Parts: sequence; C-alpha cells; structure tokens
Amino acid sequence: MSEQKEISLKKAKTASTKRLIAVIIGLLAFFYISAFWSQEWTVPGSRVSPLTILYRMFVVPFTSLEYLQKFPERILEMLETIAIAYAGGIAASIIAMPIAFLASRNIGGPLSYIGKAILNAIRSIPSIIFAILFVAALGVGPYPGVLAISINSIGMLGKLYAEVIESIDMNMVDAIRASGGNRVQAVWYGVFPQVLPDFASFSIYRFEIDVRASTVLGLVGAGGIGVPLMIAQQQRNWEDVGIILIIVIVFVTLIDKISGEIREKLV
Amino acid sequence: MYNEPPYRVFEPSEETNQNEQEVTCVIEFKNLSLTYPGGVEALKNINLKIEQGEFVVIVGLSGAGKSTLIRCINRMTDPTSGKILVDEEDVTYLKDRRLRKLRTKVGMIFQDYNLVKRLSVLRNVMAGRLGHTGTVKSLLGIFPQEDLKLAMDNLERVGIKDKAYVRADQLSGGQQQRVSIARVITQQPKVILADEPVASLDPPTSHTVMKDLRRISKEDDLTTIVNLHFIDMAMEYADRIIGMRDGEIVFDGPVTDVTEETFEQIYDRPIRVDDKRGDESDGQ
Ligand SMILES: Nc1ncnc2c1ncn2[C@@H]1O[C@H](COP(=O)(O)OP(=O)(O)OP(=O)(O)O)[C@@H](O)[C@H]1O
Ligand SMILES: [Mg+2]
Repeated sequence: MSEQKEISLKKAKTASTKRLIAVIIGLLAFFYISAFWSQEWTVPGSRVSPLTILYRMFVVPFTSLEYLQKFPERILEMLETIAIAYAGGIAASIIAMPIAFLASRNIGGPLSYIGKAILNAIRSIPSIIFAILFVAALGVGPYPGVLAISINSIGMLGKLYAEVIESIDMNMVDAIRASGGNRVQAVWYGVFPQVLPDFASFSIYRFEIDVRASTVLGLVGAGGIGVPLMIAQQQRNWEDVGIILIIVIVFVTLIDKISGEIREKLV
Repeated sequence: MYNEPPYRVFEPSEETNQNEQEVTCVIEFKNLSLTYPGGVEALKNINLKIEQGEFVVIVGLSGAGKSTLIRCINRMTDPTSGKILVDEEDVTYLKDRRLRKLRTKVGMIFQDYNLVKRLSVLRNVMAGRLGHTGTVKSLLGIFPQEDLKLAMDNLERVGIKDKAYVRADQLSGGQQQRVSIARVITQQPKVILADEPVASLDPPTSHTVMKDLRRISKEDDLTTIVNLHFIDMAMEYADRIIGMRDGEIVFDGPVTDVTEETFEQIYDRPIRVDDKRGDESDGQ
C-alpha cells in the first residue's frame, strides 16, 4: 500500500465492517418486505378499505360546511395541547438548570455522579408512562399532562445543559474566583452568560418535542387534542380524526419552523 | 552550581524582626515548596520578600515555575510546604471567606484576559467588585453608584471609557487586556499579579499595555508582580528582576544590576532573538 491514496476525513471501512453493514441492510429489507406482504390492508373489524378511510379523513372534511365548522373547536383543543407543552417546557427549562450544574463535571465536581444518575433515571422513563401515573394520581385533565411533559423534559434538558456547561471556558470562573468572588457569583457572572444562549436554544428545541409528545398524552386522559382524537378514532369517525390530524400536522410544522428560526438567531 | 556568581543569590534573611523594618514587606515566602501531584517539583524552598510599591518582574524559561510562584500568592495553587505571608498575615491555609478576602486584596491579570466575551465591558469591569458585593445584590446586578463610578473612572484611566457598553468580544486584544487592568484596579487591591499579560499581544500593543500597567501601579502605589519572558520588556518596566530556573530563584536584584549576561545565567544559555519582544515601532 505504498501508492498515494486519496485522503478521506473518515477512517476507511474494513472489509468485515462492510460485510456487517450488508448483512444488517439485508435483514432489515427482509423484515420490511415480509411485513408488507403479510399485512392485511383493511382496518380489522370494519372491513372498510384504507383508501375510503383516507378519503374520509382528508377530503370529506373540506367538502361540507358541517365539518369546516368543527375546525375552530379543534384548534382550541390544539392550543390546549400547546399550552400543556409550553407550561411543562418552561417548568422543565428552569428545574433542569440546577440539576445540570450539579451533573456537570467542572461545576458539580464529585457530586456530578449524583446529578447524572438522577437525569438518567428520569430519561429512561417515557412521558406517556408518567402521564398514566399522574392521571391515576390526579385525575383526568391537562394538569397531569403538564407534569408528565415537564418531568420527561428535565431528563433530556438536564443532560444537554450539563454538556453545554462542561464545554465552557473556565477562564472567567478563574478570574472571578481570583478576585474574591464566591462560587455562586462565579457561576452567575462566569458561566451563565456563556451557556444561556445554548440553554435557550435547547429549551425551544425541546418545546418542539413536547408539542408532539403532548398530542399523544390525551390518549391516556392527560388533556389536549389527544382526547378527542382517541374518541373519534374509537367511534370510527374518520372525518373528525382527519380534522384533528390536519390541525396537528399544520401546528407542529409551524412550530418547528418558527422555533428553528429563533434558534438560528440565538446561537 | 555556579562557581562565581556575578549576581546575588537570595539568602533568606534570618533577622526576622519585622517591626524594625523601614519599608513594609507586603509579600513574604518562607521556605515555600510545591510539588505537583505528578511529582514535578515546581517550587523548591523559595524565600523571598517583596516590598510595598515594588514593580517586580519574574523571568525564566518555560516551566521554571513562574506561574506557580505567583499563583501561590493568591492561593489559586496550594503550596506543599512552607509559608506565604501577605501583609504579615499567614495566608497559607486560608479558606472560604478569609481566602476570598485575601483575593480581594491581591488582584490578578491573565494572559488571555479572561473576560466574559458576551458581556459588556462595564459588566466585565464590575466583575472586579464581586468580592466586595453581597451575593444577592450581585445576582440582581445591584451595585452601589460609587462602584459604577469607580469602574467608569478606571476605564477612563486605561483610555477605553467610550467602550463601556460595547460587548467585550468586539474589542482588540490590547483593548481587552486594558479592560482586565480596569477590572483588577476596580477591585482596589494592594497587590497585582500578572501572568504573562502581554504574551498574546503584538509588540507595540505589548508596550502600551505594560506602560498602562506600570503607570497605574505607580499612581496607586500598588505592589505588582509580573511574569514576562521577554528580556527587553523586563528591563524596560521592572524595578526589580527575579530570575527563576527549575523551581528555584537564581537571581534577585534591582534592574540596574541586570545585563544580558544576567539573563544568560538565568536561562543557562545564550540569549536569542526571540527572547526579545522588540520596540514599540516594531510592527512585525
Ligand atoms: N497543574 C499542574 N499539574 C502538574 N504539573 C504542573 C501543573 N502546572 C504546572 N506544572 C509543572 O510545573 C512546572 C512549573 O510550571 P509553571 O507553569 O509554574 O511554569 P512557568 O514558569 O509559568 O512556565 P511558562 O512560561 O510555560 O508559563 C512545569 O514543569 C509544569 O509542567
Ligand atoms: Mg506560566
């Protein structure tokens, strides 16, 4: 191998890893194709063809005033979903901060393991499980939804925040300590200004996820647009399901777009 | 190691009756040693006295222990044995509140300025007041008007008052180092430690920054210790030069006693071109 080779940024793949990749792709293809063939393309129990359902979901709602009148009400329910995500997200963004400082190696020191353990424990439980628990404890409604969203977000935001904190320039912290400032002052003046833009950016990003997560929470009774979605689906009221899905898609896309733009400006 | 030293090696003075001394000794090292966890002996039995108002420059090759020596004074690094006295108070084992009090008295300037780049110049200068400000007040950003005035006056003294509300990262390196000088004097210290304050600057800027530092230190009668590794700058700005090699003080004397040979002895090699910073006009 003395000839000059083109330099690539990535390490060259060896023959065995190439073979492994080929096997994995082959297996995946097999599963998908066999699943595709064995799938019966009707909704069990209703014997209606999926095309009819799609037609009822996405075309019929626009053809009659009766359905168009339902949009405002559904939009209000979507706003409730967004409010759940917003309340849960704000609470999480704030509560995640102290935990993140605790969990970061450079600020938390030896306590960092405790912080990291807390965050990992939280993150390993999906928000829908928290929602089920809180609905059981607090009853049906948006409040358990807010709690479920915020707890799950704390897990992810805390971890992301801690990584930001670990990547900062500790020089300013040194400077403040060298001028007689205490730990709290060093964090406030030396760390916060450096991490705040990233914190804000991650919080907004997490809000996007929270909006999507809270549309599902209604399925277990934790408020928002998931509740009517579940009811409509059980009644096979496909027009209603369609209206709700359209609203969810439009709002989620809008929020992703807006938040993406804000985040770009922040960093 | 040297048969005939043309310089005086510092001898620890044993007549330690401090009350009878004419000039007050601000900093005193007594048999100070420091061994880093890895086993490097960065300081070996240092004995040194620095008097009120002196402008001391410490020179020595990389790894000689200059940073370690000055970082012991404000206890950013902890010595292994021996004692450090600041204002005749033993500061070797200070902790928490009393350590912070020491640090308000001993200000520090860093090679990389250590400013918060996203904050305004004035906020950076006010960071120098944190040691004098209660925690809650400082978190809320409530500073006494006279502290703010002091900060503004100090910015004026280093010639960048008009930049007070500009973000620190908008400034040139020389301006940033002047902000850090303003920050350290806003702290109202008795002593200023400066670790290679001009190493990141070009020659003309290095000279203006050193001139500012020396002028202010003389105006306010501060005791200043600067690590430098350019011999021409050391000669130009120091009152007294301390030479270090391998964790030991190998020269200590007034700048008038210092010649290029002194440096060759401190460095234990001939002087090279890059040991000098060059003149102010030398734009490189
Ligand atoms: N945190 C540390 N842990 C272990 N060894 C260290 C540490 N800091 C410095 N040293 C070692 O101690 C010795 C003295 O270092 P010091 O930084 O005081 O030298 P210096 O004279 O300031 O050098 P320079 O001109 O490169 O800044 C060096 O051998 C260095 O490698
Ligand atoms: Mg150094």
